[in-house]
Amino acid sequence: MSAPLLVLHGLVAGYGDVPVLHGVDLTVESGELVALVGSNGAGKTTLLRAVSRLLKSGGEIRFGGTDIAAREPEAVFGLGLVQVPEGRQLFPRMSVEENLLMGAYRRRDRAAIGASLAQSFDLFPVLAARRRQMAGSLSGGEQQMCAIARALMAAPRLLMIDEMSLGLAPIIVDRLLDVLVKIRGQGVTILLVEQDVFAALSVADRGYVLEHGRIVRAASAAELKSDPALQRAYLGAEDAP
Amino acid sequence: MLFAQILVDGVLLGGLYGLMALGMALVWGVLNIVNLAHGAFIMLGGYVVYFLFVAGLDPFAALPIAMLALFALGYVIQRGLLNLIVRSALLNTLLFTFGLNVVLTYLAQLLFSADFRTINPSYAGANVTLAGVTVPLAWLAAFLVAVLLAGLLQLLLDRSRLGRAIRATAQNLDAARLYGVDPRQIYAVTFGIGAALAGTAGGLYGLVAQITPYIGATLTAKSFVIAIIGGLENPLLVILGGIVIGLAEALASLYLGPTYSDVISFGLLVLILVLRPARSLKLA
Ligand SMILES: Nc1ncnc2c1ncn2[C@@H]1O[C@H](COP(=O)(O)OP(=O)(O)OP(=O)(O)O)[C@@H](O)[C@H]1O
Ligand SMILES: [Mg+2]
Repeated sequence: MSAPLLVLHGLVAGYGDVPVLHGVDLTVESGELVALVGSNGAGKTTLLRAVSRLLKSGGEIRFGGTDIAAREPEAVFGLGLVQVPEGRQLFPRMSVEENLLMGAYRRRDRAAIGASLAQSFDLFPVLAARRRQMAGSLSGGEQQMCAIARALMAAPRLLMIDEMSLGLAPIIVDRLLDVLVKIRGQGVTILLVEQDVFAALSVADRGYVLEHGRIVRAASAAELKSDPALQRAYLGAEDAP
Repeated sequence: MLFAQILVDGVLLGGLYGLMALGMALVWGVLNIVNLAHGAFIMLGGYVVYFLFVAGLDPFAALPIAMLALFALGYVIQRGLLNLIVRSALLNTLLFTFGLNVVLTYLAQLLFSADFRTINPSYAGANVTLAGVTVPLAWLAAFLVAVLLAGLLQLLLDRSRLGRAIRATAQNLDAARLYGVDPRQIYAVTFGIGAALAGTAGGLYGLVAQITPYIGATLTAKSFVIAIIGGLENPLLVILGGIVIGLAEALASLYLGPTYSDVISFGLLVLILVLRPARSLKLA
């Protein structure tokens, strides 16, 4: 069996002297779609920022067998570890097309970049119609599509998405989840961070539950979905399904 | 006719002012550094062109050399020193560039003496007269070079991969890093381009005015005001900002007397700092 694509072992991180992550263990196998769920302030964004190396951390981070804990964000990106950050973080005064091209910043083959651009527009036709529009003036849903498309332009090995559903109408969320399933079918491994726990678990293979900077549950998505404790915690009611 | 003459002079000189401000606006917008040594880079560019001219080179042929020399200087300063503090408090970079300005001015005085220098090719006095207005050819050429370089910078920023990375870094540093941009490299190249533009402006300035080691401070202040007027994202608007200042100076010297022309940009500087201090420091 091949080594997991991403391995976190004893990951600790925080801001100043306030610790947020207290030794997180997490693995993502090649080809998996893994959900990371947890309530506000659990440390999910902190975890993704540490993995992308925007935030200093302790413990082990291995990607594709390489220890990346001492690398810079731009170097980690070069290995195929690509993040769609919380709040989309588009380049607001650049057009949709330019944002997508920034996703392909490290790629040099113009023809292949052109093909990826065409694929992105196939996947999200609304972006094709708005390719010259400034990204800052897109609607929330369009911005999320643009952010996902930008990440796909990087030809990622592991795609990490933070709060994909935040502020989006359920119908858009469903469409984006379909897109994730499709992308995964094309061989991209995905780590999905969500507060919308049951949306994430509906497409994931496995899930982790993070609370107060610690992994408190790790199980198959099916198992987590039917877990009464989780239903109570995240649907907040006895009348949970 | 005198009035038309003043307007033409103001526009031509203003274009050159715009070129001076271009590098400062670029660096300010992308690195969030207000480079107080910017005028010193202009001064150094002036000396590079002056000495190449003395050695027998045509000043316009010397411009690309000044450009490359100042690019290298800017790149090395940013890569070696400024990158260490670029994302710290604005005060740190202000202090650093203030100190750099002092050092460069002192070195220039030591190496080149305090003598006034003019770049004086055979065609320095040549001009054409159109409808009673005299257009000095050197000024016209300086203006055209300024517009050309602003246009090229605009193209670089709008159309090239490097330009996209520069704008991306300016608009969202974390996102740029997440997508593979190395900010240290982008900062060094951007600071280099800023210095190169300053150096070129300095060479042209030597054709229309005198160069001494001390011209930097005034030109830094002028560039600062123009960058605020023209904004930090659009090179051709910066040239327009320069033309506004050039015209204001020309009109001031017509109506108030020639000694008042420098007062204009300092007056505007004070006015801006008093009325819009937040905007002037957080323009990016
Ligand atoms: N830049 C920061 N400086 C200081 N503390 C921070 C910073 N960012 C986050 N924190 C703190 O770290 C903790 C974890 O935050 P984090 O953003 O990782 O949570 P999260 O699980 O992503 O939450 P959410 O679901 O609301 O996005 C919180 O207590 C938060 O207040
Ligand atoms: Mg978060």
